[in-house]
Amino acid sequence: MLKHLFNTVIVVFGVLVLTFLLIHLVPGDPVEVMLGESASMADRAQLRADLGLDQPLIQQFGSYLAKLSHGDFGRSIHTQTPIIELIKTRYPATLKLAALSLLIGMCIGIPLGIYAALKANHWQDLVVTLVSVRLSAMPAFWLGPMLMLIFAVWLGWLPVSGMESNTSIILPALTLGFGLSAILTRMTRTSLLEVLNDDYIRTARAKGLSERTVILRHALRAALLPIITIVGLQMGSLLAGTVITETIFSWDGIGRLLVESIEKRDYPITQSCVLIVALSYVLVNLLTDSLYRFADPRVKFAS
Amino acid sequence: MFWLIAVVAGRLLQLNPNLIDLNAILNAPGTAYLLGADDLGRSILARLLRGVEVSFFVAIVVTGITMFVGVFVGLVAGFYGGKIDRILMQITDIFLAFPGILLAIAFSAVLGPGLVNLMIALSMTGWVSYARLTRGQALGLRNRQHVLAAESLGASVPRMIFQHILPLLASVLVVEATYSLASVMIAEASLSFLGLGIQSPDASWGAMLRDGVRYMLFAPHYVLIVGLSLMSLILAINLGGDSLRDRLDVRTEK
Repeated sequence: MLKHLFNTVIVVFGVLVLTFLLIHLVPGDPVEVMLGESASMADRAQLRADLGLDQPLIQQFGSYLAKLSHGDFGRSIHTQTPIIELIKTRYPATLKLAALSLLIGMCIGIPLGIYAALKANHWQDLVVTLVSVRLSAMPAFWLGPMLMLIFAVWLGWLPVSGMESNTSIILPALTLGFGLSAILTRMTRTSLLEVLNDDYIRTARAKGLSERTVILRHALRAALLPIITIVGLQMGSLLAGTVITETIFSWDGIGRLLVESIEKRDYPITQSCVLIVALSYVLVNLLTDSLYRFADPRVKFAS
Repeated sequence: MFWLIAVVAGRLLQLNPNLIDLNAILNAPGTAYLLGADDLGRSILARLLRGVEVSFFVAIVVTGITMFVGVFVGLVAGFYGGKIDRILMQITDIFLAFPGILLAIAFSAVLGPGLVNLMIALSMTGWVSYARLTRGQALGLRNRQHVLAAESLGASVPRMIFQHILPLLASVLVVEATYSLASVMIAEASLSFLGLGIQSPDASWGAMLRDGVRYMLFAPHYVLIVGLSLMSLILAINLGGDSLRDRLDVRTEK
């Protein structure tokens, strides 16, 4: 566990270094790229000093870390808004979207997976598996527009985009949730099938327990572990998926903030968004791992 | 296969993906334009064909570069082990801490849009999976009898790597390459969708899908056609990849 934590610390440090270096990857002079060629010398010098780009690299990194440690992400170049304020308003929207997508994914994926496992090798199983395999290959930027076309444009049931109405969240959440549900269906099916062959399931059945109890109380509990892991691992692609999904549906979360900042060449915001999303991912992975250890004592012994 | 058809069809039909016909803006599919026209009055069919060409080109170049770099890093790490291995793997861990295409988005954001920068951004992030895979395999192969035998006979390090380790990795790497061809194409389309990848007038399915969304209310055929094409392309790649994998993948052999 300690070793794992230590590794995480190194990874977090590496993520900080990499996001810090991002701005130095800008070809040519980052200040000129951000302000445009028409900017005055004074403005350029000002920005350069603000960003600390006139100092040696190591010193820049030092002050970057020092500022981050008390929540100072710098300011937007164009509006001078402190970036932490932007993140505070945008991040909850992303979390809300991610949480609902996760819920949708689990509500569709787990029951379907159980169903497929119970009907293993029947045509129902085949259909479910085939659809989920193919659906999980479809990227968000395909699914999003297709859902939008069907439910918002043709049927007119839901708003096309934006965040004004309460139903606005449904389409983006479905876009992210569908992909997740497809993966969860397959995972639930496989891990339940594996468990169903175990001796203790035969014992439970031999005791005369109802099939319902056997599946829900005995088999599913054991099958849940790999499912937890998959959910955790998928949170990462969910977070990355929000970048595209939020852009499609004009959902004002951190992903859209990232894309907007790139369009405006407001690199300090870009840097902060990348950092926040990556750190969230690392944190989720750490949590998944701890949860896994907690839920399955065998893992502890093995390591 | 798809690529060949697209290139040949594009040339045979004498379609110009950049020809602008102002009278045909957002026209529905018809006799003049088989699949309709886009927001600048360009033939959607021609641009789809051209888009496949560009997309395959990107996928092949990026897969080539990432495979080369990744295999090199993986071999070094797996072969030498110890400190070098730990440092290299720590670096790959850091790259893996960025979910999905976030890092590619970040790189292409600072590098600026365009075909070359897109390929650089995708290459900078894609090598990690090859490095991991190769390192794992090389670690196992390093202590195989035949490698140890070669070593004791005084074989040089490059000789051991190229003659005794790399050939055994070939089929695993080909399988991995089919996965990465598909994922690079999707990543390219995602970046182009966000406006970070291929720029107009060059055609890209991602950018076309974005334009389709923009004009969805007036011309739903645009987004629908691009969407359906993308779906069939991805399905085709997946099915092709699956059958290739079944033939090559020793691990799934029953």
